Amino acid sequence: MIEGARWRRWVFFHIPLTLFIVGLLFPFYWMIVTSVRPDNELYRPWNAANYTPFWTLRPTLQHVTDLLTETLFSTWMMNTMLIATVSTVISLICGLFAGYALSRLKFPFAGSIGTGIFITYLVPQTLLFIPLADIIRNFHLGDSPWALILTYPTFLIPFCTWLMMGYFKSIPKELEECARIDGAPRWKAMAYIIFPIAIPGILSAGIFAFTLSWNEFIYALVFLSSPEQKTVPVGVTSELVRGDVFYWGELMAGALLGSIPVAFVYSFFVEHYVSGITGSVKG
Amino acid sequence: MPRVTRRRFLQSSGAGVAAAQTGGIAGILATGQAPAYAQQTTLHWLRWNDFVPASDQLLKTKIAPQCEKDLGIKLNIEGINANDIQARITSSVQSGTGPDIILGLSNWPQLYADSVVDVSDVTEEIGKAQGGHWDLFKIVAHDGKKWLGVPWTIVAGLLTNRKSWFAEAGYPEDKFPDTWDDYRAAGKKLKAAGHPFGQTAGHTFGDAPSFWYPFLWSFGGREVADDKKTVALNSKETIESVKYAVAFWKECCDEGGLSWDDSSNNRAFLAGTISSTNNGASIYIESKRKPDSYQTDKGKPMKDDIFHTRLPKGPAGQFIYPTPFTHMVMGYSKNQKAAKDVLRWASSKPIFGEWFTSQQGFCTGPTKDWEKDPVWSADPIMLPFKTVGEISNRYAGHAGPSGRAAAEGVTKYVITDMYAKAIQGMAPEEAVKWAHGELSKIYA
Amino acid sequence: MATFEAVTPRAYAGTPPRGPITRLLEDERWLASVLLMPTIVLLGLFIAYPFVKGVLLAVTDTKVGIPGSFVGFANFEKLWHDDIFRVAVYNTFLYTFVTTIFKLVLGLWLALLLNRHFHGKAFVRAFILLPFIIPTVLSTFAWKWMFDPTFSVINWLLFHLGLITGRINWLGDPDLAIISVMVVNVWRGVPFYAISLLAGLQTISPELHEAAAIDGARAWQRFRHVTWPLLLPVTMVVVLFSVIQTFADFQLVYVLTGGGPANHTHLFATYAYQIGVGTGLLSEGAAVSLAIFPVLLLVVIIQLVYIRRVETV
Repeated sequence: MIEGARWRRWVFFHIPLTLFIVGLLFPFYWMIVTSVRPDNELYRPWNAANYTPFWTLRPTLQHVTDLLTETLFSTWMMNTMLIATVSTVISLICGLFAGYALSRLKFPFAGSIGTGIFITYLVPQTLLFIPLADIIRNFHLGDSPWALILTYPTFLIPFCTWLMMGYFKSIPKELEECARIDGAPRWKAMAYIIFPIAIPGILSAGIFAFTLSWNEFIYALVFLSSPEQKTVPVGVTSELVRGDVFYWGELMAGALLGSIPVAFVYSFFVEHYVSGITGSVKG
Repeated sequence: MPRVTRRRFLQSSGAGVAAAQTGGIAGILATGQAPAYAQQTTLHWLRWNDFVPASDQLLKTKIAPQCEKDLGIKLNIEGINANDIQARITSSVQSGTGPDIILGLSNWPQLYADSVVDVSDVTEEIGKAQGGHWDLFKIVAHDGKKWLGVPWTIVAGLLTNRKSWFAEAGYPEDKFPDTWDDYRAAGKKLKAAGHPFGQTAGHTFGDAPSFWYPFLWSFGGREVADDKKTVALNSKETIESVKYAVAFWKECCDEGGLSWDDSSNNRAFLAGTISSTNNGASIYIESKRKPDSYQTDKGKPMKDDIFHTRLPKGPAGQFIYPTPFTHMVMGYSKNQKAAKDVLRWASSKPIFGEWFTSQQGFCTGPTKDWEKDPVWSADPIMLPFKTVGEISNRYAGHAGPSGRAAAEGVTKYVITDMYAKAIQGMAPEEAVKWAHGELSKIYA
Repeated sequence: MATFEAVTPRAYAGTPPRGPITRLLEDERWLASVLLMPTIVLLGLFIAYPFVKGVLLAVTDTKVGIPGSFVGFANFEKLWHDDIFRVAVYNTFLYTFVTTIFKLVLGLWLALLLNRHFHGKAFVRAFILLPFIIPTVLSTFAWKWMFDPTFSVINWLLFHLGLITGRINWLGDPDLAIISVMVVNVWRGVPFYAISLLAGLQTISPELHEAAAIDGARAWQRFRHVTWPLLLPVTMVVVLFSVIQTFADFQLVYVLTGGGPANHTHLFATYAYQIGVGTGLLSEGAAVSLAIFPVLLLVVIIQLVYIRRVETV
């Protein structure tokens, strides 16, 4: 609470918060207005007298319609959805297992493996994408969602592992020991006792992984070719930028529509996301 | 275990993908089906998303089915953003698999010379039948012994100008200022009236080189000396051109141009903030496509206020830097013969003619015969684009060969940056020295 | 990171009979191997192996389609003398350093604000994440449009507020260009910092604050001595991951400026891409990418050491 006069509340709370909200969300407002703005208004320079950046008097759904009918946008959405979901599941499983092993089991080279997993996060994609193209070919994965489903976990797993490790460290060892005293085998204690407690952590890692997969560009550009296989970022930028003309209305509509699924997922899980990060770092 | 299921999935999808891509015996055997008739080949053809969407439509809905009828070859045409083609070429060549035919811009055939197939037979045949290819293609697609690609078109940049504003400043259409001094004088007047010129000096692969290279050449500057080996950028002529450019920029140009990409000048022109810019015909064609969206400040359709001219003459001549488009048959392709057949067929008069007409003059044909095509009489504003092939006689790397080193110079934006640095305040001699140093490292 | 728990296996009376697999998995080492196998396979196949190939690329003179021969450190030597490379190095450090500071400060401030109760709190918390959610490529296009010298809404706003008289060349002026790029990065990153730090704030029990208040501590002192120390673990983790990502940032600069004007906004990743793909000089592009690695490793090690010190306190 901010004690004291009301003006303090305004200065220290309401105004800064409003500024943040405006600053962070204005571009989205801008994108919405642009996507419904008719073409002839789009090309007005900023110093023209009738430049109305914040609204348009003749909104049109033409851009959205064009986006959905003239391009394979809905296909791209489904592709991206599939790829992001499956990559996230794979990364979560790997992260869960690896996090548990590294934080609660004793075995040789544990430290090195943990460090090794972490180091892979540092390798830049611009170095990897050429050699990876070779591997993708060897496995006949080119131009299929599997090329991405199997390569995305490479940058998702380290973070998931780290998050889960932190989470597991905060869970007391006594829980497993109790279960084992009662006769449960080790793996059952792990699966039935420990994992359920970590669910908030799993959710928050999952949300983060989903967002990163949705966002990826280079691998999607290089490993996919047919228009039907593309993901939203690649499809939107390649179809709506022709030569030296950008179809701004459609681009902005695509950007907005392309964020909706992730925003949707977030809205369900944001509370868990918050508590998940908490738990993982408490340890 | 989940992993086993994935493996099985991989194997089955892999076979499907392989079969779709090669369609050959191996693919058929993999799917375990008896071949209907071995001739059903599928060819993967990678192009840019054409600026004229109607042409892409034509390719997919008419020309591709026609190809299947005439040649029995199924075309899988893919279009991507021109900026991203190189990333695809790189990964395809390195991994040994990818599209069979790729559309290369500029001097990419020289850049990828070791990865493309010799297509001299197809190219010579077309050249003979259609009046011979333009010299420009010999520079970018021929390595002295063989053809590295089948020329497709030339997309050229000319000055796009506002008729009414130039007339107001005292330069009606038939008295267009055609030397740099005159053009600069006109620019001064126009900028003072609030209608500056607009040029990009940023990192963009199309508009920036297509202005600055001819600028350099028209003052007598060049990257490589006549012995085709020594870097000769640092010369009196080059320094002159840089000094001129700095003054020209300040007096005549929209200073936002330092950050413009290929589309910015289009936008600026269509929004009525600039009066003249070096660009392809895209501005005019776009204004024709949506006449109601693009209007002058007097409410008239923009398309009626546009005309095209060449870049001005300098002390050493008048030049142009167009973008040639060449189709390359990739060395890793397993359907090289089919690819050549398709290119031969697609470049033939009836097929190419149809595609060419849909372009409305946006591009020029690869051979001399296309200058006579009726598309040039359709719209007088497009007429200056007719002769682009004739006037294109140089390319990046002049006077050396337009090979890998020249391409590196273009990709690193050495010439563009030389002017950009000077415009931003570096002393012209310094900027030229820097550029010369960069080129020397490249050509070393 | 790895904990060495001394869990002594004891024989318990009355344990039910166990199959061979279960007995195997009782052994910590076998369980660990099974659990780690998927991760090791995936990362080994799709990172370790290509990484080695990438290193091999960097020490040869491979160009597209032309296998190269071993040249040792020649590529790196060439980079050392390359002006543009130096600019890219400088830019990357500057970019990472400045944006991280801003993201941390602004993110923390926002987290503190969001930690209060107010109407629509859940709503705001969800929407705040939008800049982080939307694919970078697409939101950067929106920013490009907002910065465009001919159409910029920012210019319009500043002009009508009387703060400027002419036009600001956000992406064309070399100094402004790198500032603009940083602005977009901070815009994108603040929500992530805010939400993560908010999570951390919520673990600090309010009683601690109350106790401090009772002892006479003012707001700022409470923050410095109660909040900040308890928040440090979360902060360090978030900063660590953010630094790694920002260092290797590609999409933002690629879309916004392409590395221009005159190479003033080039980062490691964009320069590597321009050389490797644009010019076909794969080995040199690989060398640029590889040059990031030891530097990043150093930055990360320093942060990890700091984290470990903080954790053990």
